[in-house]
Amino acid sequence: MMGEHLTEDLTETFTDDSHVTMKDYLASLRYAGMIQKSMLPLPALMTSLLREYFVSFMPRDFVSGDFYYVYRGRDFYCVAAGDCTGHGVPGSLLSIMGVSFLNEILQCQPSPRANRVLNLMREKVMSALHQTGVSGEQMDSIDMSLCIFTPGSYEMQFSGANRPLFIVRDGQLREIKADKMPIGPAPLVEEPFTNKIVSFDDDDMFYLFSDGFPDQFGGPLNKKFKYRQFRALLSEVAAYKPSRQKRVIELTFADWKGNHRQVDDVTVFGFKPKIII
Amino acid sequence: MRLTAFRIRNFRSIVDTGWQSVSPDNITCLIGQNESGKTSVLEGLYVFHSGIITEDVLRSDLSLPEVSCRFAVKKGWLLEMAVNAGPELKELLSETDTLELTRYWLADFTSSVRVSGEVSEYLDSLEKAWKLYLDEIRSKIIDESNRLSGDEELLAKLSEKRRVLELSLREKGGKSLRRGLFGSKGSDAAEREVEIQHLKDELKDVSGQLEQLTIRRDSRADLITAVRAWNTLAGEYEEIEKQLNEVSFKLEERHQMMTLLLKPDDYDDKIWETIIDEYHRLRSERERLMGEIDRQTALCGFLMEGNSGEEAMVKVQEITGKYRSKYTEEMLGTACFEHTPVFTIFEDFGSLLPNRIDLEDIVATDSDIEGYKAARNFMKLARLDYSFFMQPSSRILKQTIENLNQRLTHNFHDFWQQSVGGKNKIKIQFELEHYSASHGDKSGKPYLEFWIKDEGERLYPKQRSRGVRWFLSFYLELQASALGGDKPIVLLVDEPGVSLHARAQEDVLKVFEDISDKIQIVYTTHSPHLVDINKLHRVLAVQRDDFENYRSATKIIDPVLLSAATPDTLTPIHSVMGNPFGAGFSDRKPNLIVSDTGSYYFLSAIMLLSGAELSFNIVPATSADSIPSLCNIMIGWGLKFNVLVFDNDEDNRAATFTGSTIFRENSDVAIRFQSPFHGVEDLFSTLDFKKHVVKTREGITVANSVYLNDKKLPRAFLASRLLSEINNGGLSANDFDEESHENFRMLIGRLKEIGKGD
Repeated sequence: MMGEHLTEDLTETFTDDSHVTMKDYLASLRYAGMIQKSMLPLPALMTSLLREYFVSFMPRDFVSGDFYYVYRGRDFYCVAAGDCTGHGVPGSLLSIMGVSFLNEILQCQPSPRANRVLNLMREKVMSALHQTGVSGEQMDSIDMSLCIFTPGSYEMQFSGANRPLFIVRDGQLREIKADKMPIGPAPLVEEPFTNKIVSFDDDDMFYLFSDGFPDQFGGPLNKKFKYRQFRALLSEVAAYKPSRQKRVIELTFADWKGNHRQVDDVTVFGFKPKIII
Repeated sequence: MRLTAFRIRNFRSIVDTGWQSVSPDNITCLIGQNESGKTSVLEGLYVFHSGIITEDVLRSDLSLPEVSCRFAVKKGWLLEMAVNAGPELKELLSETDTLELTRYWLADFTSSVRVSGEVSEYLDSLEKAWKLYLDEIRSKIIDESNRLSGDEELLAKLSEKRRVLELSLREKGGKSLRRGLFGSKGSDAAEREVEIQHLKDELKDVSGQLEQLTIRRDSRADLITAVRAWNTLAGEYEEIEKQLNEVSFKLEERHQMMTLLLKPDDYDDKIWETIIDEYHRLRSERERLMGEIDRQTALCGFLMEGNSGEEAMVKVQEITGKYRSKYTEEMLGTACFEHTPVFTIFEDFGSLLPNRIDLEDIVATDSDIEGYKAARNFMKLARLDYSFFMQPSSRILKQTIENLNQRLTHNFHDFWQQSVGGKNKIKIQFELEHYSASHGDKSGKPYLEFWIKDEGERLYPKQRSRGVRWFLSFYLELQASALGGDKPIVLLVDEPGVSLHARAQEDVLKVFEDISDKIQIVYTTHSPHLVDINKLHRVLAVQRDDFENYRSATKIIDPVLLSAATPDTLTPIHSVMGNPFGAGFSDRKPNLIVSDTGSYYFLSAIMLLSGAELSFNIVPATSADSIPSLCNIMIGWGLKFNVLVFDNDEDNRAATFTGSTIFRENSDVAIRFQSPFHGVEDLFSTLDFKKHVVKTREGITVANSVYLNDKKLPRAFLASRLLSEINNGGLSANDFDEESHENFRMLIGRLKEIGKGD
């Protein structure tokens, strides 16, 4: 159950006679979760931009460090998924910041480049968190995969900060690799993100996802699900209708996890973009 | 209403000045060598207003002058001049904020003013459409006329044939009867009967044709009458044209003679007056006939379409209303001209203060009297008129005159800095006197006497130095003009202060500045003291097309293109400017002015990184505010230049000022970058800026230029360091990302235009 581990974690915190009861705290977390959920894209917006889609959004706690995102500009639209460091409350704060920054950036750009959006995101995150890359400071960051589509075109832009893009066509999966650096301070020095132009077809299925699913421990030997299996899963379900894809993915996750704790927030965002909107 | 530009054609040495803008701050200076045509420009402007020319101004080909002026007017003002205009013309006039008028002369040296420019193009288009419409009909009329002539001929032929047939019939019929009565052989009679029948048949046929023709003719009586009338008018018009050409030729011959200063042998004023009257008459007659022919053509057109006479008349009215504007170019031109500024020329004869002048000569504005204009200026400035001098009380009169003298002197001292004999300053004085009995007819008549006094002595104006007399007279002219009535004034001055000391010449400039908000001034000069080096946007250079041939046509060069003027033309400027080339400017390559040294270093760095080979010299101003001064220097030295301007307050201010004064319509001189580029440093991507300029890893969410400003970082130092690293090989193009390179390419693309089109 979402939050059960949280309850365990908090028990210790609330064993004393604190006037704030665990019940109150959990209630506020639930409410925070509702607020966070309200910041996620509305179904109406999703259907206006995406021919088909599903989102398996499974926060570890009441609030999530993952987010998924769509934005409609005048001559473009953007689809993204982000995974903020940590989970729970700290992660959710970062995810809210991430969504706000994306809105700010995209509202000012009539024709954005995907990599420049991530470059700008990084500046904003580092500025907001006062990060200068000095050792010892907090290295919070956001991993993100971001796609920009132009209506009428079968080419899209992709840029990723540690998060790739998977495209499945006729059961074959193609990976569009991301840059190995987060939206945040780099270990040594920040480099610009790269912009990739990707061609696609009408029936291609796109997947943006956090690493929660592949990194989930479970199965008979209590190992990570891993990317190889995850890729195979997506290749298999890509031909299904979105609703069935979501069901199969979530069931597969639940089966794999079994009684183990959910390690991280899980997001799998599958969609087919619209060419004409 | 303000003069903004002029164009002079076929006037003295001027073939065509092209459109030249006057300085937007109301003071325009024409510089050039002797015989360059500077005075011709002034005179050309003056005759636009006066309308009076003589043979002296004609060029050798005797082409008649045209002077055009553009004026700035309030939007919609032109509507007031054409209240009954049609809807299209009204719409055009309501949107126009520029009035363009052209004065043109005819062979008899009379002139008219017409609107030109946009309004005239519109009226011309109506006229063209009207002519096209008429031309179509005209060719049909000629065909119809030929057809009618053909019909008439045929009618005549048929009538004659019928007459002959009837005669033949009568003869043959008579013979037959006689033969019948007196017996004839049977076969002869039958033959004759056949002949007679044949004639009858033929007669019937001819009569039938005649009838048809007659019916047709009768049904087109209106058209036939109209076409005949048209032919008559066309014939009359041809005759008038022929006569007009003959008279025009006589006028040209006379102009030719007069320009060569040869009076024709049969020179007689009265004869020439007759010829000129004949010229006017023939022109009027031709205008009238043209109108008549046009109407008649339209009428024929409608009659040919099958309309009745009455219907056709109505349609002619309608079509004329559709194509012909109520207002002609001349009507509008004349109406608008009444509101244009008064052009006045300051010249020695009338404008220099005399020693004395009769009051009645001042009142009569007799231009043949020396100094009448100066005296009138004096009176205007003193706010006096003739009635003042009828004052019965001599004490009041004398006291008033004394007070006026003090006031005028005091005001004059504000502008006249130069002292006479060290400490003393001159005083202006006038007195009312009356001629003594020894002056015959003038005995008892009043006159004004003028004095210029100092502590040393009291002298007439003519006894003072020419420079003093000139300056004083000029001061009076300017001040009187500034008081002038409702109409604005354009003051034309040829070589002001040529007799004045350098400092006094600078005072002349001060006078110009003082009144420039009320009066537009156009003046010519050789003197460097009359050229404000901080305001070289006022300068128009005048020189001959072929500077080795003083007979070649005059041309005018505007301030931004002064590099095309000859060194001799630019002497007044060069003599105060010194040598420009020690300051790092180039006369071989165009110069690109940037706002400061920081921008200079950043731009130089970008040039190196992009590897572009551009042929211009980067020149840093000390700040954006000093860009106009630097532009002046460039203009003064005749150097080619452009200005690089970014979207920040200082650059925008400099660009606005230079755009309205120096560049005017030459918007290509300023290379402007709009937001998000507020400075050269904004061309770098944020990441490159952080890594290579400020060397920080903190997040930057504002423009690079804003960051430097907010953090108060030493911009010039950082830019210089960047340039140094690039020069030393510490940084190369590969160290900069695609966003920076894309911006560099955009900049290079814009800068590549520099130097093109020369």
